[in-house]
Amino acid sequence: MPSLSTQLLVIGGGATGLGVAWDACLRGLKVVLIEQGDLGQGTSGRYHGLLHSGGRYVISDPPSARDCASENRILRRIAPHTIEDTGGLFAAAPADPGDFADAWAAACRACGVPAEEVRIAAALRREPLLNPRMTRAFEVRDAALDSFDLLHALTGAIRGAGGQVSLRHRLEGLLVEDGRVRGARVIVRPSGEALTIGADMVVNAAGPWAGKVAQSAGVRLPFALGKGTMLAMASRLVHTVVNRLKPPSDGDIIVPVGTVTVLGTTDVPIAEPDELGIEGWEIDLLLAEGEVLIPELPRHRALRAWAGVRPLWRPEKGTDATRTLPRAHLILDHEERDGVRGLVSVIGGKLTTFRLMAEQAMDIVAPRLGNSAPCKTADTPLEKPGQHYFALPLRWKEIDPPAHPPSPDEVICECEVVTLSRLEKALGASETLELDDVRRDLRLGMGPCQAGFCAYRAAGVAQALGRDARGSAWLLEFLAERWRGIRPLGWGSGLRQMELTRRIYLELLGATAAEEAQP
Amino acid sequence: MNLPALGADLCVKCNICTAACPVAAATDLFLGPKAVGPQAARFRHPRLPLPDSSLTWCSGCGTCSRVCPHGVAVAEINIQAKARLAEEGRVPLRDHLISRPDLLGRLGTRLAPAANLALRLRPARWMIEKVMGIHRRAPLPAFARRTFRRRARARCVDQPPPPDEAHARTVAYFHGCGTNYYEPALGELAARILEMLGCRVVVPRQGCCGLPLQSNGLFEAARGYARYNLKWLSPFAHAGIPIVGTSTSCTLSLKHDYRAILGLDGEAAEDVAEGTYDIFEYMTLLLPEALDRLELLPVRARALYHAPCQLRAHGIGTPALEVLRRIPGLRLAVSESECCGVAGTYGLKREKYGVAHAVGAGLLEQVRSADLDFVITDSETCRWWISGHAGVPAHHPVEIVARSLEII
Amino acid sequence: MRDLLIVGAGLTGLFSAALAARRGVRVALIAEGRGSLELSHGCIDVSGGLSPHLVVQQSRADHPYSLAGLENLEAAIREFRSLMQSAGLPYSGDLGRALRLPTALGTEHATSLAPAPLAAGDHASGGPLTYADLIGFRDFHAGLAAAEMARLGAPVGEPLHLPLLDAPAHRDSYATDLARLFDDARRREEIARAWKPQMRGVRRLALPAVIGLDRSAEAFADLEKRLGVPICEIPTLPPSVPGLRLEGALRRIAVEAGAWLLDGARAVGRVDGRSDGRRVSGVVAHTAGGPRQLDAAAVILATGGVLHGGLVARQNGLVQESVFDLPVTFRGEREDWTSPSALSPQSYARFGLTVSADMRPIGAHGEPLFENLFAAGGILAGADRAAEGSRQGIDLATAHRALEAAGA
Repeated sequence: MPSLSTQLLVIGGGATGLGVAWDACLRGLKVVLIEQGDLGQGTSGRYHGLLHSGGRYVISDPPSARDCASENRILRRIAPHTIEDTGGLFAAAPADPGDFADAWAAACRACGVPAEEVRIAAALRREPLLNPRMTRAFEVRDAALDSFDLLHALTGAIRGAGGQVSLRHRLEGLLVEDGRVRGARVIVRPSGEALTIGADMVVNAAGPWAGKVAQSAGVRLPFALGKGTMLAMASRLVHTVVNRLKPPSDGDIIVPVGTVTVLGTTDVPIAEPDELGIEGWEIDLLLAEGEVLIPELPRHRALRAWAGVRPLWRPEKGTDATRTLPRAHLILDHEERDGVRGLVSVIGGKLTTFRLMAEQAMDIVAPRLGNSAPCKTADTPLEKPGQHYFALPLRWKEIDPPAHPPSPDEVICECEVVTLSRLEKALGASETLELDDVRRDLRLGMGPCQAGFCAYRAAGVAQALGRDARGSAWLLEFLAERWRGIRPLGWGSGLRQMELTRRIYLELLGATAAEEAQP
Repeated sequence: MNLPALGADLCVKCNICTAACPVAAATDLFLGPKAVGPQAARFRHPRLPLPDSSLTWCSGCGTCSRVCPHGVAVAEINIQAKARLAEEGRVPLRDHLISRPDLLGRLGTRLAPAANLALRLRPARWMIEKVMGIHRRAPLPAFARRTFRRRARARCVDQPPPPDEAHARTVAYFHGCGTNYYEPALGELAARILEMLGCRVVVPRQGCCGLPLQSNGLFEAARGYARYNLKWLSPFAHAGIPIVGTSTSCTLSLKHDYRAILGLDGEAAEDVAEGTYDIFEYMTLLLPEALDRLELLPVRARALYHAPCQLRAHGIGTPALEVLRRIPGLRLAVSESECCGVAGTYGLKREKYGVAHAVGAGLLEQVRSADLDFVITDSETCRWWISGHAGVPAHHPVEIVARSLEII
Repeated sequence: MRDLLIVGAGLTGLFSAALAARRGVRVALIAEGRGSLELSHGCIDVSGGLSPHLVVQQSRADHPYSLAGLENLEAAIREFRSLMQSAGLPYSGDLGRALRLPTALGTEHATSLAPAPLAAGDHASGGPLTYADLIGFRDFHAGLAAAEMARLGAPVGEPLHLPLLDAPAHRDSYATDLARLFDDARRREEIARAWKPQMRGVRRLALPAVIGLDRSAEAFADLEKRLGVPICEIPTLPPSVPGLRLEGALRRIAVEAGAWLLDGARAVGRVDGRSDGRRVSGVVAHTAGGPRQLDAAAVILATGGVLHGGLVARQNGLVQESVFDLPVTFRGEREDWTSPSALSPQSYARFGLTVSADMRPIGAHGEPLFENLFAAGGILAGADRAAEGSRQGIDLATAHRALEAAGA
């Protein structure tokens, strides 16, 4: 069996795991990270896109609020190209509890979360679609953070520093000898090849799968999984993050992310991390709550829905509801807690605080590896110098013809402006195994037509590059993946779009029907 | 007014508008209505400069909105974006000038003989192109010596007249700048035909409709004209007196653009919009019996009828065709072109002229090759463009009906 | 007052309008936008390659084929073929044998009638295919088609990549851009000269369906002659040129025969107040200005299903008919409307109006709702036409039946 060895093995290629690996690299450690799927296929890629100001937690979870506020400042410094500085508003709707605003403002001051009350007229000038009947409005330092960009930046930085990030390496089990974790057995996909990775320390950052990882070392982690459903409206209805000014609840956040507006989230307890089915009531609830803040919301189109899983630490005797469980993260030193050496688990937390979690985990891990270097992630920029947030208008400017000489670059995905040269580069990467991987890199197929047009074009390009040897298999898989996300929104324009896609593929292009229909 | 309210989100990307767009067919500098409309709208940010200049190639013909089956106001999205370009100061001085036909008209009619002579001289047109950016080959109409309003002084009123025993209906005629300053005879014929159909015709106080300014993105100036017209026309509409026009672009402004593009709400805008008719729309839908009684005499001629883009945008089909088809002896072919190319002031511009010419190339070729006696089309700018390029006379359908009624 | 008013401008509406107008019926057609022909391969799919006779006989009682019956299908096909012949867009094939046409995904498309350039790809009528794509045209990929065809075991040549001359350079080409290019004889000649050297060993060349739009018959014949090999066309992404050719031909026939086409206005049904609710009197057209009343002795609804707005599926789980608010037959909660797989039969695709054998929408007890209101095409319940391969057969057969029942 092939094997390799390293000082530190990190399990999980979400923000937390990559953050840990990056922190370790900067401390001079040799690190390998394994991820069972693609970057951002888990919780990090399935979130609403919000860089928290901390305002959401000032009452329910003040330590989290403080962490968010300070991490917000740090991330703006080290990864500005992943962040669109939209700013944020907390707005109270007419029916929201009237006394909450003042208590909330006081709590913001206490937690060091900057919040400034603004007149309703000013808030409306800034965001004309907001409910003109809102009663209070505060400006906060929320922003939109593109998690795919962040994960790519972290991966690039880790690899640049000599660390290894191995995608599609699925953990089969931890290697445990004499009460000490000594590495892991891994299956590499799609080849199915087995691999042993020896490691002096292992960090379990597998998010919702962390329980299963720990279990393979004989450790029980009592945590709960909360499914959060989000949906994207087809365009940007606001250009500022908008929070409901009331205690945390379902459907309390609206985030402009790239070309869309994300409405989030619900919170439903689930048993397994892959129970991501979306129910009709969740969609209706998100739209109804969104309408409270944006009254004309029903005139706009809901584009796509998805769900992510929050791994939440459950105290020994908890309730079934996951909404009330603390959002704070937890670092578990299994040597101290369970007598299993060589394993540290990182549980819970938020994308906004991924760096802090990594720092705290590595503060435990590094000394065990004989390393006393301090954490450097807060002061080390993640991007190349001069790289800036790729603002929406700039993306469009690339294809505005009069400004440019004739260009041979084709626009493959028109909705999200994905060009042929970018597509070919992404398809050239050995880690790309399907069009959905390209989607996460480039936003291919994420716009209103949901790949109705670009799936065919991209499959044609992939075939020409020799990437898809199975005829139109890539195409059909990609369409199937997109269909899953629009199905919960199958009415009105959404259903029109679905029927258009079906007509294009079944009637115009000659895709074979999955089942025969008899008149 | 915000863009998604214009239905940008309802776009399913089907490309029906792209396939129908006459400008995209003529130049690749225009990305196409879907691209610069609902697609680009997702990339525009209210607090950042507009990323696209391609939309200046949109001629504003409105074909895209009309053909969209999904309720996307594509042309309206584009014109709103053009207005933002104007706010950002990206509209040339020339556009400010050619957007004011009333000012040009007032000046031109006063100096008519000299002005008309100058416009026919090649060196003068060369100078105008150099200085003002109006293409030297773009056909320009000749100024009338006396405006329509002066010729029709007896009909001019400021207030709705009281009901008149002798007439079942009173209509208010909206002549527009084209009739007032260039083709006053057309207005007189329109009034006489309406009278033969039993109407009393009055001419309310009115100004330029504002469409040329609006098409060039100069919304504030356009709103000035719009408010003036609403002030003087709404009492007529309110009194149930229909406002009937012969200029399809002016009537489109009154019907649609004041509300849907310039964002003027309120009772006056609504009354005027709902009370405005194209003259043939009015005849066919509201005076069908009178129309049936009209004695139309043969007009022995071969003609091509072209429905202007701005008439098509009314959403009423081609009512003039319904009447023209009743004229004995008139052998009518029907143009399939969405647009002749000029689209108001678009084709006059030095840099747009070539594209406008290409847009209308099919139509001009059809006109030249068909051995026609004349072309019939409802819009003045189309008539000037087509006759100027194809060398075949172009008439308003009113003139042909007048011929059939032997009132010319 | 018209004899017949048709709502909808897809294949059903335009075929009905063209046929009725040719028969001398005073017909008007109103549509909010263009219909679905822009999304059509231009062929007449009847029965997914099965025997049309068997399919019609064995279809369920509520299936549109059961209601229209074989005689209407056969008559409709005859009428359609003769209309197209007269429009210079001849169709091949008949109900006796399915054509098996190559597709962009290398599969076989079984259809009953196809326009000549597509029919030229019939499995039975020529040698092995060589797919060719056009360099820089993102909407057709020869390699993908050839690989799949080879995988399915059919002989196929090495894919070719042919250069395009004079294609749009500042932006991507849509199929319509290229089709207009091929309409031009001079460019066609240059293109053929550039391609000719690559034709060695090619038995039959399969090109994307872009060979001409307005002069497609001439363009196709000329290109084939110049290349010296048989060619055929393959439908690809919208805008679909073969569908647009068909749409253009039907519109031309209808207009030339005197039909009044109203584009760009939403229609809302009107019940005749004097009929005790038993008859409709026409529609109100929501035009750019005010609402306009259009009266007709009979109305045919041809507004299509969920894609083109004949049916509106709501978030609250209801499905509505958009013109007369007729009762719609639909099943299940919102979550049940779609199937987990895009290419499987879909529950929503069978939603629609339930009609009597003479195409009149009926109520809960099987009674016709109005004496003079008929429905045809995609708005009818009971068929998943994409999955069955029956779309155009149903359109034509039910349109024919509705025309007959409406006395047109």
